[in-house]
Amino acid sequence: MATTKVTSEVIGTVWKVEKAVGDQVAEGDLIMILESMKMEIPVEAPLAGTLSEIKVSPDDSVEEDHVLCLIES
Amino acid sequence: MSFDDMLDDLRKREAKARAMGGPERLARREAQGVLNARTRIDAFIDPGSWVETGLLAVSSIVPEDRDKTPADGKIAGFAKVDGRMVAVASNDFTTKGASSSATNMKKVGHVKRVATERGFPLVFFGESSGARMPDNMGAKGMGTNLGHDPQQYVRTRQTPWASAVLGQCYGSSAWYTCLSDFVVMRKGAIMAVASPGLASFAIGQDVEAEDLGGWKMHSEISGLIDLVVESDEEALDEIKRFLSYMPSHCNEPPPLASVPAGSDECARRILDILPDSRKRAYDVRKIIKCLADLDSFFEFKPKFGRPAVTGLARMDGRTVGFIASNPMGKAGALDVAACEKATRFTVMCDSFNIPLILLVDTPGFVIGIEGEKQKAPGKIMNFMQALQMCTVPKLSVIMRKSYGQAYLNMGGGRNSDDVAIWPTAEVSFMDAHYATQIVTWGQQASDERKQEIREQMEKDSSAYSLAEIYAAQAVIAPADTRRYLIQQLEIHELRMSGGIGAHRMAAWPTTF
Repeated sequence: MATTKVTSEVIGTVWKVEKAVGDQVAEGDLIMILESMKMEIPVEAPLAGTLSEIKVSPDDSVEEDHVLCLIES
Repeated sequence: MSFDDMLDDLRKREAKARAMGGPERLARREAQGVLNARTRIDAFIDPGSWVETGLLAVSSIVPEDRDKTPADGKIAGFAKVDGRMVAVASNDFTTKGASSSATNMKKVGHVKRVATERGFPLVFFGESSGARMPDNMGAKGMGTNLGHDPQQYVRTRQTPWASAVLGQCYGSSAWYTCLSDFVVMRKGAIMAVASPGLASFAIGQDVEAEDLGGWKMHSEISGLIDLVVESDEEALDEIKRFLSYMPSHCNEPPPLASVPAGSDECARRILDILPDSRKRAYDVRKIIKCLADLDSFFEFKPKFGRPAVTGLARMDGRTVGFIASNPMGKAGALDVAACEKATRFTVMCDSFNIPLILLVDTPGFVIGIEGEKQKAPGKIMNFMQALQMCTVPKLSVIMRKSYGQAYLNMGGGRNSDDVAIWPTAEVSFMDAHYATQIVTWGQQASDERKQEIREQMEKDSSAYSLAEIYAAQAVIAPADTRRYLIQQLEIHELRMSGGIGAHRMAAWPTTF
């Protein structure tokens, strides 16, 4: 089992979290949506696995490279 | 001395030169999983193709160094890579830290001159401590060692240069890295003007080597490198990949490659990637991968200037350069780093006869104090001038937003040879909301009046409006874009010159 950190590409806020801890995700699945520069920035699973931890909630501010969630694969 | 003795003596001298800094130092590197100057060459070239120059050269300034400087610490020669000639300068850090000396600078100068005059790429494996001490000390040291080659640090892009940063790179190996068209860095390597030690002695700055010139700093902040890898072997493979897209010299077109099966299928998936909502971002790299020949997209500087994506790829087997705004980075609003990245890439492509494809989805340039402090207007004009100086074919596809000056910088109007636009596009000077604020500035405009003005501002921003006045040459469906671009590349081929551009920026800087 390997743990992969999913990080934010942008500075912004968390708008919606679309998945929950324990959910299975396929590569490219939408996990959450951030809001930055009036745009919705999708955060997609970089690989298939299980969401083991979600480290942010809606309205949280995030910086670039902020760890958003963990995927076990 | 008999002939046999003479030949035996030659073999012994050669073996000593090939032993580099001795078995202990080489073993230490091997234990760390790091290749040495000669195993790097072996891993890089076609087997059996190595032709060395200056194997028996040694230090010439300090007499007692003569026996301690095999090949004088910089290994130089010529070889084939994928059957094509390249020149190689590989630093042997086990010999006096591969420091630059009077002799080894002549060797590097020779391969550089031959590669340039005979028309093939030059590759540097960077790992050097800088100028050799005490050779360079004092007025006589300076006058003897330095400045005898007035072309030493001139880049006129006659042939491609590539560098791998594979260890400590200070002084000349940093300079050659920054003069190269493509730079790959292994994690753990450092590139800087001078070492952290010197920074500490001379200016009292205690700084970690990684902070001074590590992979994270250079890939995300300075933008001086194009790619980060984990191992020496990967770095060498990435240079080979880069060279596979490039012509051997500026007077020939890039090589043709075969088109992988399935390359035409992916373009149909673009509408799955492009979101329904204009507010939703997507990663433009996915669109590039759908347009280019399968698995041919080779991205430069993925972590630097992220509102712009740059990379080489192939379309129907021909090398092209993509410059795309990426809504995933600052909503696609081009910042100073993105302009620098696009400028450098434009200059490189134009210098080596590589057509450019611009993919546009940008709300404009980043505005505000941060950008202004970093000379944003100057950077925007560098990018603009580079695009207008280009003589290779330029094709532009407006996918969604194209606003303001960025419309021009991304190839709008006659800044491309052909502008195609998707029905999903919107083209205007600025967002209608801001335009309404500006034209009603200082007026007592009612909300109704503002609404009227806003509606007026919003109209006519469609793809069809641009096509009706022939400011776009065609409105095309996303799925037809690959085919359209391949047809346009054929139409705009530089037939009059056999595919060779005018190279008006060949002597432009390699960094901005």
